[in-house]
Amino acid sequence: MTTTRQQDTATSRLTVRELTLAYEDRTVVHELDLAVPDGKVTVIVGPNACGKSTTLRALGRLLKPRGGAVLLDGTELSKIPTKKIAQSIGLLPQTPVAPEAITVSDLVARGRQPHQHWWQQWSQEDERAVTEAMERTDITALGSRSVDELSGGQRQRVWIAMALAQDTDLLLLDEPTTYLDIAHQVEVLDLVRRLAAPAADGTRGRTVVTVLHDLNQAARYADHLVAMKAGRIVAEGHPQDVVTAELVREVFGLEAVIVPDPVTGSPLVVPGAPWQPTPSS
Amino acid sequence: MSATTAAVRPAGYSLVTIGARGRFLLHRRATAVAASLVVLLAVVCVAYLCVGESFVAPSEVLNVILGRPSADELVVGTLRMPRMVVGLLVGLAFGIAGALIQTVARNPLASPDIIGISQGASALTVGAMTFGITSYTVLPYLSVIGGVAAAALVYAFAWRGGLHATRFVLIGIGFAIALRSVTTLFLTKGDYLVAQQAQIWMTGSLNGRGYDEAAPIGWTLLILLPAVLWAARAQRSVSMDDDTATALGVRLGRVRLGLVALGVILASVATGTAGPVDFVALLAPQIARRMTRTAQNPLLCSALLGAVIVVFADLLARRLFSPTELPVGVLTAAVGAPYLIWLIIRGHGGRSGGNA
Repeated sequence: MTTTRQQDTATSRLTVRELTLAYEDRTVVHELDLAVPDGKVTVIVGPNACGKSTTLRALGRLLKPRGGAVLLDGTELSKIPTKKIAQSIGLLPQTPVAPEAITVSDLVARGRQPHQHWWQQWSQEDERAVTEAMERTDITALGSRSVDELSGGQRQRVWIAMALAQDTDLLLLDEPTTYLDIAHQVEVLDLVRRLAAPAADGTRGRTVVTVLHDLNQAARYADHLVAMKAGRIVAEGHPQDVVTAELVREVFGLEAVIVPDPVTGSPLVVPGAPWQPTPSS
Repeated sequence: MSATTAAVRPAGYSLVTIGARGRFLLHRRATAVAASLVVLLAVVCVAYLCVGESFVAPSEVLNVILGRPSADELVVGTLRMPRMVVGLLVGLAFGIAGALIQTVARNPLASPDIIGISQGASALTVGAMTFGITSYTVLPYLSVIGGVAAAALVYAFAWRGGLHATRFVLIGIGFAIALRSVTTLFLTKGDYLVAQQAQIWMTGSLNGRGYDEAAPIGWTLLILLPAVLWAARAQRSVSMDDDTATALGVRLGRVRLGLVALGVILASVATGTAGPVDFVALLAPQIARRMTRTAQNPLLCSALLGAVIVVFADLLARRLFSPTELPVGVLTAAVGAPYLIWLIIRGHGGRSGGNA
């Protein structure tokens, strides 16, 4: 189970070694090994309470490991100053809370915090990063609006902009599509794909790790899919190779038929047994 | 400056460049509000010195303030000025303390007089009074100890692998109630005259306070000024949820402890000086924030507003039912209590920023 499945991808800045995570005395993740491929979109999927969000929190040092370690460039996260980590890893929690009455540009600018000093609260670099983040998420026009008065989709884009302004090589997103309607979900996921895409000059894009609820979205947008069940990785790899009827049965306990997505050709999971009306007496 | 047209800067802020590397963001509206509050405070202070049993012309008051010879030197300089200075400093301290504690607790209801700090100070002070310690040179130190000890207890009980803001406030309220009954116990046990003296102290009064009381709190404010400057910036980073703040590289535990400790020390010293002047620490930051419309409690404006409230309230307290002088705490409570009720009523559904 823990053998290196990962040799096809070249490098991994963020790796996980025998990671065990627990809340109080309930162990949620058991001796997990994972290498996050650089410049790719890694999506973690699994049924509710399988430990996928917990794993993501540990990747972003929000949860201290009970055993094992998360390594950034080979060094344990717990041995790196948190501000230093924040210069390499950005993280967007599931339900972030903004200060009351904060403006959009102010919130996005707070993503620059790990790069600032008390005597240098705003540099040219800050300005460039914030401007770019707001352009990429298409919220430049909202700059002076209050975050409280935005719609759910706009607000999510503002939060992503804040994480982008942090200008980190790695970006962790915990269910970024929750609370969004389907159009906004696609919009956010398209943005995630664009972030990971290599730049025009050939430099690789950002490394994104995200937790998604929807298996079909995961199969469509992931370069690297990680399927978890009961705190363990059941399968990982390219969605083409991983998403099979057996896997869906094993992980979700659902009979399904896998067909090619008519748009992208990625695997599409269709529940196998048609809905039957319960015979009423 | 190369003016790129689309450059984004946090809305409402201006960039101030000092030297080669110093670059600071200044909130324009907060700066304007602070300037207006300084003017307002000056006006209230002059009014305070003018009004009393005898009216002194503002020109004479200015003469005294500027150290020029004046016929009203005794009334203004010796009788009114020391008491006003104490009120001013107490107001500054309560304003800052309230802002800091509300920030850490993420709750506008959290203030030193609600989460047990004032009650801790009261319990120890009144206890000491009933045991015969009535010297005003010792009592302020006792109330500082009482306040800090109560806050430490609240913090320790609210800590369970991390500080949960709501738990902090609720445990604080619990401690406040418990400590209040301890105080009542001392009052009923103690001598009648002592109880009366204690009662006045507990309302918060500037009566009979002078430069001897002003010196310790003045020094405290001056020494803690660097810490307050740190807090003004650090406050920003704890105003978001824990996960986001941690992801941005904030050492939450330390920053919070630092902010609370600073707030508690200021509140305790202020309480030691004038007794628990109710609601100032609660009101000042909330009103200041509504004026500045900043995303966090503005420290400087809170401090200035605290000073305006205390000095103005004491002016009214001296004159409203003259010749009877009310304790200043009665007036701040009369204004503060309705405001507190309004805050609570508005509280449900008012906070819309969370999940949606």
